[in-house]
Amino acid sequence: MKQKKEYIDRVQFAVDHARKLGADAAEAFVSDTQSVQINISNRKTEQANALCDAGIGIRILKDQKMVSGSSNDLGSDSVKALISDLSKKVLFHTVDEFNVIPGESNDVLVQDWSANADALSYDPKIDGVPVQEKINKAIRLETAGLDSSPKITGSMMVLYQDNTTHLYLANSNGISGWFPTSSCMGYVELSAAEKGDQQSGNYFQAKVNYDDLDTDLIGRRAAENALRMLGAKPINSCEIPMVVSPEVGTQILSYIVGMLSADEVQKGKSLFAGKLDTPVAARILNVIDDGKMKGGLNTNPVDGEGVPQQTTPLIVGGILKNYLYDSYTAKKGKAKSTGNYQRSGYQGSGSIGNTNLYLQKGGIKRKTLISGIDKGFYMQDAIGMFAGIDSTSGEFSIPAIGFMIEKGSITYPIRGISISGNLFDFLKSVDAIADDLTWFQSVGCPTFSVTSIKIGGVS
Amino acid sequence: MTKGKKCREISRREFLGRSLAGTTAFGLSSALINTLWFQTGCSGSLAGQWIVPEDVLKKSIQFLLAKGADFGDVFVERALFNGISSDDRKINTSTTLQQGVGIRAVKEGKTFYAYTASFIPEDIYTTARFVADAAAEGTAKSTTMIVDLTRQSSKLRFAIEPDPNHVAVEKKIEFVQRLTDRAWSADPRVNQVSQFYREITRHVNLATSSGKIIKQTLGLTELYATTYMKDQDGNLQSGFDGRAAYAGRDFFKGEDSFENVVDKSVERAKNLLEAVDCPRGVFPVVLGPGDNGVIFHESCGHGMEADLVFKGSNFKDQIGKQTAAKGVTLIDDGTNPQLPGSFAFDDEGTPSEHTVLIEDGIQRNYMCDLVWGQKLGMKSTGSGRRQSFRFPPIPRMRNTYIEKGNISPNDIVAETKRGIYVTNVARGGQVDVITGNFMMGAEGFLIENGKITRPIKGATLSGMGIQALKTIDLIGNDLKIAASPGRCGKMQSVPAAFGMPTIRVRGILVGGRGEAWEDKKGGVR
Repeated sequence: MKQKKEYIDRVQFAVDHARKLGADAAEAFVSDTQSVQINISNRKTEQANALCDAGIGIRILKDQKMVSGSSNDLGSDSVKALISDLSKKVLFHTVDEFNVIPGESNDVLVQDWSANADALSYDPKIDGVPVQEKINKAIRLETAGLDSSPKITGSMMVLYQDNTTHLYLANSNGISGWFPTSSCMGYVELSAAEKGDQQSGNYFQAKVNYDDLDTDLIGRRAAENALRMLGAKPINSCEIPMVVSPEVGTQILSYIVGMLSADEVQKGKSLFAGKLDTPVAARILNVIDDGKMKGGLNTNPVDGEGVPQQTTPLIVGGILKNYLYDSYTAKKGKAKSTGNYQRSGYQGSGSIGNTNLYLQKGGIKRKTLISGIDKGFYMQDAIGMFAGIDSTSGEFSIPAIGFMIEKGSITYPIRGISISGNLFDFLKSVDAIADDLTWFQSVGCPTFSVTSIKIGGVS
Repeated sequence: MTKGKKCREISRREFLGRSLAGTTAFGLSSALINTLWFQTGCSGSLAGQWIVPEDVLKKSIQFLLAKGADFGDVFVERALFNGISSDDRKINTSTTLQQGVGIRAVKEGKTFYAYTASFIPEDIYTTARFVADAAAEGTAKSTTMIVDLTRQSSKLRFAIEPDPNHVAVEKKIEFVQRLTDRAWSADPRVNQVSQFYREITRHVNLATSSGKIIKQTLGLTELYATTYMKDQDGNLQSGFDGRAAYAGRDFFKGEDSFENVVDKSVERAKNLLEAVDCPRGVFPVVLGPGDNGVIFHESCGHGMEADLVFKGSNFKDQIGKQTAAKGVTLIDDGTNPQLPGSFAFDDEGTPSEHTVLIEDGIQRNYMCDLVWGQKLGMKSTGSGRRQSFRFPPIPRMRNTYIEKGNISPNDIVAETKRGIYVTNVARGGQVDVITGNFMMGAEGFLIENGKITRPIKGATLSGMGIQALKTIDLIGNDLKIAASPGRCGKMQSVPAAFGMPTIRVRGILVGGRGEAWEDKKGGVR
């Protein structure tokens, strides 16, 4: 799959047409994706989907009012009809002096986005490998898990998915270009059974490079996660130290970074408002958003509105140092965009999101970290974390699974309990960070521990 | 799922849990508004229309079956999504057109799928041939299969009034402005208001290898409101409410009125500001009627979907066995007037129906589509649904509820010495179908000495589905099936609704950071 001249022309055509209809500024974005998705069940293909998807997103600025729209009908008449419709609707929108389409005046021009390989997350192989080979790879995901123990009884979900996307952007302020991006992922969810007890385990991995996706590891880890839970039971309500796995840590980090969006902060929706240069976490905690990280899943030359991606330290030594900005919030907050305007597909507008976000690793081994705990809970995974965290107040209670830690060692598996607390207190109670930084998608986290957590269980 | 960057965006769009990564979840929160804004809809007659001519559909089916597929279908869709968002006192619109043709072939239980965004007959035929070839896996020779298509009709009617395409955008902006003003003026502590109103019109044509041809228009009108409040001590809370229906704006009256949605979002934020930490442990939980039915959607609904049953969910091999307390009857219904999970025909052409899943505690049926129903040796219950033309159909819930009992809701509360009363779902829920472990976020009040007292915060409910269902000990006579907002995520996202009467359940784990409680005879310590 190569870049298409017609799409380079189409985004420019859309911008020009919007200007012709009276826009003060305009932006057009085309995303062109090829994707393969394979589900496996019982060592055979259950579903194979080969998908091609292209569409255009448009933003039009007029009299300080902004409108957005999108369509997957890229015909020039259809695009013209959409622009005409948007140009009428924008008149009824609310004036907002901070509405902006970035450009030269914001000092954000970068040319030849596709020329710098280090700034891309792209592997041409993903689009080049025949589907049959991908089916074999998907089957290996499941086989590695099923064959790892006779106690593994079957799979609930085995998925291989990849995509190769070419992005095209142009606006009336001098930004234009294109670049490719790709990724592939494997997910395995298995069941294990013994003596009438049935447990589940899953694992997944996403990579930029096709050859980096470790099917055996994914299948084996999913199996291990299920096997380790056999015999799990609840514990009594208590308050004890907790060790957090990278699987859980990355999910929690995602909520924290959502609260660090300048948009949430400026609109008074985040309790991180007004906390710049103050302690918000334990001193050992460093959180960084790195849009330039080599090999990162969200490494791109520019963000969704053409602003260069960058490395942004958010929390340094426990002190809040920055928020994540796009051009709109930067103008409003008299700050500089951090290149965090993220689009999902070809939608007309995006929102602030992380690039490659991680909690910096510490200096001790995971084993050492656990060995210092006399009685504690090792949290391996959560059910419904999105519904268990209130990202306004930071209150959380999350159904958890994991293991008991006794005299420095992991002993038995636990299920049927909830952990609860408040995110702001939680961040301050981190007391040790291990050196095993692990990435899930575009968020990375090492194993870490907190001094204590409230556990709700049987009486 | 199929879009460029979604594969790498699980964490940022995690409102649906790891739905993309396999588990199932129901999302319902202000984060959902953001995501819906990003989802990407066409004017025309709402009575249904032929997007591509019938003879093109017929020819496509012939190409699709030419290489030995067992069955297949051609799903044509043209959808318009018109959104109006109000955030930070600024009101803006978004417009999205999505169209395409999804083509499926099924052979020996395997599904092969592809789609094209083009309505040009030759592009549709090419896609049909591609899918036919994939299903043949290089073996079968081409043959000519002639299928006669018969138009299907249904008595079910879902009025979309007024037709959203006939109301001027400035009128819609005005009415959202009034809702925004209503929230801002409700309480001096209101410090932010986010609202999202959307109208979706989906024109669908479907042709199947079994000879059915259908046209229908699916509609959804929805409003989500989040109100943020901050008190003098700097405490910040947000309250959320929403309503959705397969209907136009005229549907939203009385308790379902948009004004009521806004008022509830304000009231919930206020309650959270004044709330005490929810106690933790296993003790009596009384769930109020309506949307709280999401608890059955998670705790047992997903586990009764034919694909998950076949693969070994904890409801496998349970037909005829007791899976819930006596008195509990669980229904999944696709025919309720105007509810978001209703439709005349499912997305593979089976008429919608009222499906009894559990009858008086005994498992009677599962939710089946054609592919997974066949694998289980069961008939389709009209449960084959797809998010859009980009996806093949899979077994899904529609409007799920439990039938009413005969106790007055007031008596249920009065008979509970100590516990919590759940007024509404917070943010959604999720289930691990292998073990049956489910959870749902919750808001509500403490019950102290048989009375509803102080509001609570930070609550979740969790447990193991079948075990929890067996500990339901009181069922109210006040069944309410709600015009529920939100989306159910299982690789694909679809609208679904919930219902229940007031019930009391004893064996459920409450999570919170308040004191540790336990259950002794109705909650006496």
